Amino acid sequence: MKAKFFKTFLFLAAAFLIIMSGTNAMAEKPIVLGCPLSTAFLYGWDAERGIKLAVDEINANGGVTVGGEKRPFAVEVIDTRDLEPGVPVSEALLAVEKLILGKNADFIVGGPVRSEAALAAMSLLSKYKKVSILTTGVLTPKYHAMVAQNYDKFKYCFRIHGEAKQLVGEILSCFEDLKTKYGLNRVFIIVQDVSHARGGGEVLGKIAAKKGWTITGTEVYPTGTTDFSMGLLKARKAKSEIINIWMDMPESSILLKQWYDMKIPALPFGSTLAAAEQPGFWKATEGKGEYCLCSVVNAGNAPSEATPWTMKFYDAYTKKWGVEPEGLGSSSSYMAVYVLKDAIERAGTIDSDKVVAALEKTDLMGVYGRIRFDPKNHQVIPALDPKEGAVGTILQWQDEKRVVVFPKSIATGEIKLPPWMNK
Amino acid sequence: MEILIYGIINSIALVLMSLGFALVYGISRVPNFAHGALYVITAFITWSLLNTLGLNYFLSIVLSLIAIGVIGALIYQFVLIRVRGMAISEIIASYAIGLAILEGLRWGGFKGLSYRLPVFIEGSVNIGDVPVDYHRLLTVVVGIALVAFIWGFTHYTKLGLALRGIAQDERAAMMLGIDSDRMALVAMAGGAMLAGLGAILLLPLGNIVVESGYNVLTMAIAVCIIGGLGSWMGAVLAAFIIGFAQILSVVYLGSHYQMVVALLAIILTLILKPSGLFGRQKELEERV
Repeated sequence: MKAKFFKTFLFLAAAFLIIMSGTNAMAEKPIVLGCPLSTAFLYGWDAERGIKLAVDEINANGGVTVGGEKRPFAVEVIDTRDLEPGVPVSEALLAVEKLILGKNADFIVGGPVRSEAALAAMSLLSKYKKVSILTTGVLTPKYHAMVAQNYDKFKYCFRIHGEAKQLVGEILSCFEDLKTKYGLNRVFIIVQDVSHARGGGEVLGKIAAKKGWTITGTEVYPTGTTDFSMGLLKARKAKSEIINIWMDMPESSILLKQWYDMKIPALPFGSTLAAAEQPGFWKATEGKGEYCLCSVVNAGNAPSEATPWTMKFYDAYTKKWGVEPEGLGSSSSYMAVYVLKDAIERAGTIDSDKVVAALEKTDLMGVYGRIRFDPKNHQVIPALDPKEGAVGTILQWQDEKRVVVFPKSIATGEIKLPPWMNK
Repeated sequence: MEILIYGIINSIALVLMSLGFALVYGISRVPNFAHGALYVITAFITWSLLNTLGLNYFLSIVLSLIAIGVIGALIYQFVLIRVRGMAISEIIASYAIGLAILEGLRWGGFKGLSYRLPVFIEGSVNIGDVPVDYHRLLTVVVGIALVAFIWGFTHYTKLGLALRGIAQDERAAMMLGIDSDRMALVAMAGGAMLAGLGAILLLPLGNIVVESGYNVLTMAIAVCIIGGLGSWMGAVLAAFIIGFAQILSVVYLGSHYQMVVALLAIILTLILKPSGLFGRQKELEERV
């Protein structure tokens, strides 16, 4: 009887040890990634999906090595609602604080998504010494300028996706192509009444004018606008040839539908145009969005062969979520988790100051090129060649597909004009 | 020319957004803050019938309008009737219902660009030199027909006259045997159907998004305050004032002033004529 009991005990103990050894990483205290995201909007939900995909992959491979032990990532998401019209910035700040104090987040990844909210959250991150990697939405150059101006205070803030100045540079390069190829020279600017869009539109207008472009007008639309007819008529009246759009609200699809129905002879070019970034845009506009150009900020948010990792990520995202990577925030949020893993492993700790130092030394070939941060302002270093830095992507909707047309190093097609614009 | 054309289109859109709110308040004196939610949910019901069940578009519209009428009646019968006459409670209860519906839709995954209704007629036409799509023109025709129908209904049918009786003097109407609660129930169902009809006409121009519920509620309140709470003819006139003011502000000031114009009009109305343009009963109360 004793021998039988002893054998059973040994068997159970062995089974327990086998099971526990297999889930060693999972048994360790997880590293909590707090994600303040506006989850009802593209730049929120696609970031959440990118983060969760990376976390699942990393955890499936054993987790993060921290000082000799394997620890898994855990994700905590709180809806900041900062992209919704009328929601005050304080909501996003409460979300960030709740993630830090209530959910015990070790790092903040993702948002806040709206520039105003992200800028306001910087002091909070500094107060709690929480390393944050912005991965979506926030385009204002002021973010990294603030880090550069007051490094000691804001050193915990990083941004891994492109920003407005970089975007403007890429868009103007594209404009030059359009000038050379089709002789276009007159730009009308339509922006949403939010910080990044107003700022972006203004900067683009100024630089384009200096480069010899004629700016035929600027229209600022409040968030939630559902009729753009008068602005489009103004653009037509001013003989505009390109309509440059800065909008992240879903209603921007109405603008494209109206543009098509009114046959406005100007090419819609979204600097930020959340509606056109998404794979569902074609169906949402019943094909009326054809020829629309838009920037998805970083490669990997549209199909291309920027690096060997690009399509690997693209396919994994599509498989997991049943939809292709949807726009700004998908590839950068995914990459942020891998970059953080790399920095934690090199630092050997999750101590904020040591992780900051490790992040500054990041040099990783990622989904959208070589990922490095400028050590002075913590902005990801951009480039036109993925071997040099983080590359952007401008796509055009052609025959139901998102075709990458810029930069040339990763382009899969060329810009086309709608039939009613062909001279 | 474009100011005239798009001024009329914008005004009719505002009429469609606000008629239901004006009707419910005019008859039952209940400020239905769930109006925007009823607007959005009708579109989602139509979308579901069309895409999930694969029903015919016209049939989907009819069924969703019936469904929203029933939902409106149920909201009144089970919630609002209990707080009727207590203005603050009415606002809180109806707003809470609206919030629950809108946030429930969002929580249920109704977000993004996937939800859209087809336009009734494709294509556009040039009026003078101004391009206008057929669907917007149809919206104007239906909007005008709807206003004419409501006028005829409230002047020449027994039910319509009973509704007007309650709206004009509830106690006198009750003395004549008109059931106030039943009329309020009818008004709530009718108001919900008007909100739904607005959604079915206006949302094919864009996408069905939860946020439009909040925008529609704001615009409906603006129109009704300026027109005079309780007066649906006042609401129609106010819709034209705001509609044209918005278009003029877009042309001469800038697009971002269009929302400011509506809110400024509310403030001016509250300062200069708090009862609104056609709020005669309220005006009498104010004088007393």
